[in-house]
Amino acid sequence: MKFYYFHLMPYIMDHDEPSSWVTLSNRHYDPAVGHTLYNQYLDQFEYAEKLGWDGLCVNEHHQNCYGTMPSPNVMAAMLVRRTTRAKIAVLGNGLPLRENPLRVAEEIAMLDVASGGRIISGFVRGISAEYFSTGVNPTHSRERFYEAAELIVRAWTEEGPFPFDGRFYRFHYVNPWPRPLQKPHPPVWCPSQGSSETVEWAAKRRFPYLMVFTPIKRIAQIYGEYREACERNGYRASRYQLTVNVPVVVAESDAKARELAEKHVMWVFNTGLRMHPPFWRPPGYITEASLRRLLANPPVLPSDLTFEQADREGYLIYGSPATVRDKLRVFADELQAGILCTAMNGGTHERTLELMQLFAEEVMPHFREDAKVDETAGVGR
Amino acid sequence: MPASRELSVRGTPIHLMQDGTGPALLFLHGAGGAGRWLPFQERLAGDFSVYFPSHPGHGGSPAAEWIEHISDLAFHYLDLLDELGLARVHLVGASFGGWIAAEIATMASHRLASLVLIDPVGIRVDGWIYPFLFGMDIPEIVGTVFHNPMAALALAPPDQSIDTLALQYRQGAALARVAWNPYLYDPLLRRRLARIASPTLLCWGAHDRLAPLAPCGEAWAKAIPGARLQVFDDAGHVPHLEEADAVADAVAEFCRLQGAKR
Repeated sequence: MKFYYFHLMPYIMDHDEPSSWVTLSNRHYDPAVGHTLYNQYLDQFEYAEKLGWDGLCVNEHHQNCYGTMPSPNVMAAMLVRRTTRAKIAVLGNGLPLRENPLRVAEEIAMLDVASGGRIISGFVRGISAEYFSTGVNPTHSRERFYEAAELIVRAWTEEGPFPFDGRFYRFHYVNPWPRPLQKPHPPVWCPSQGSSETVEWAAKRRFPYLMVFTPIKRIAQIYGEYREACERNGYRASRYQLTVNVPVVVAESDAKARELAEKHVMWVFNTGLRMHPPFWRPPGYITEASLRRLLANPPVLPSDLTFEQADREGYLIYGSPATVRDKLRVFADELQAGILCTAMNGGTHERTLELMQLFAEEVMPHFREDAKVDETAGVGR
Repeated sequence: MPASRELSVRGTPIHLMQDGTGPALLFLHGAGGAGRWLPFQERLAGDFSVYFPSHPGHGGSPAAEWIEHISDLAFHYLDLLDELGLARVHLVGASFGGWIAAEIATMASHRLASLVLIDPVGIRVDGWIYPFLFGMDIPEIVGTVFHNPMAALALAPPDQSIDTLALQYRQGAALARVAWNPYLYDPLLRRRLARIASPTLLCWGAHDRLAPLAPCGEAWAKAIPGARLQVFDDAGHVPHLEEADAVADAVAEFCRLQGAKR
């Protein structure tokens, strides 16, 4: 199994507002605190590489305390020059949220060239609330996503200049300098919540599928659908196409780990993902078929998730190193996930570094049958 | 009870309600108003042959993927007039339906015996930004749209079944396709309102908080040549629900008068 250190770069705070997204006033954001946080978070990334993590994950979110990386490419750029070995996964750029997808093609190519080909390029639609933050029409989201993805991959792989005449994006000259270093292009990953349309789209293109903050039963179901879709498209999914993002808390004992998880992981669900209900469901963001599936089996809102339920349903992993190893076996052996993305939060920067070290020393080595494999070879393209 | 039927308008299937006898009157509903034949329509049906279609994606009309812009809806209704064989109609539109009606009037005033706009949206008004209903929950929406919240009961969904929730989502998506951004207006419409040649009545709720009389109602009155503005003192954004009889009487009187003149 491969391990990627994932960060939201949250601005951790308590508040009584109905939503941590879109409307939570930025008067709560203290730039002096933000300065400290950004630098601690970047230190954690650099430390992860030193500890042997295979990759570092940044991501795009807007107007909230949940994740303060509106431009993931900016953070990736800082990591490119401070690391030498780890993959840098941008998970991802919210394609429909951009007015000009060629900027994504250009920025990822810049990062890929400067990093010597260490970039993984996630393509996402952006969380529902981000259609309120950006003004982009949510009824165009899916079509914009597909069209932008096609344009970016063509911009990376076809000799320019060429014209592009889409419904949303039109250019007479597509000819980005630089071109990416990796051939045919940096691997593309699809972080998603499991809509069947996206599963099919990703499987067809051999783009790895990443499940984020999802109960384990649903991960198993979507992995199954993804594998079937790959078979339909004439190939067998590599385990490195199946990535899971689950928070891990490892500590000296189960009890200590539980204490940290109850406080810090549950903050992400209960406060970080607290959303005014209309922001969860902008009109037309999902298909009517997906909506009906959701309504037939409504998932618990993250803000209503209890620790007991999160624990029972596998939203998180916590425990002593031995316990974490056992729980992780389910992901590695039963789900056959090839890559684990995980954030760690010990409450303070120093404690977080300790958890990271404990995980790297006591857990990771037990899952390293594939230490010499390049997990990005042959997938994501 | 109105008669209900399905018909195809240039290949787009729609649901249409119809009742009454007399000169033809086409009513274009606002968001959430599809298929709601209420006392307002009932009263008008006493004097007019009232046609009440559901916009594509609303009520009983399936979503139409080709509709991307408010003008698509305006053309759709000109096609409906052809389909129904109606050379001229009295056109009445409320809120979002008023926006469509105004677009139609800028294109084809000669098809309109009169034009009635009830608290329309659709133009950019200096000094006003329409409150963003898409970001509101139901109590906030009711508080914004209605002066008399009891009137909102007429639009309450029959249940919370998956079918009902899916229909509401479909209606929201159909509205968002043409009205998310720019929100509730067409940047080109205001300049074009000067082209409207049909006699025009503007009905406005004195307590409209979505599109207030000042500055919105006043801007419309100024932009449409010769338009008459009538204010309803006990209504918010939907006077035809909040003061159904008074608005229906005002509309009927105005349309009768215009019908007699021509």
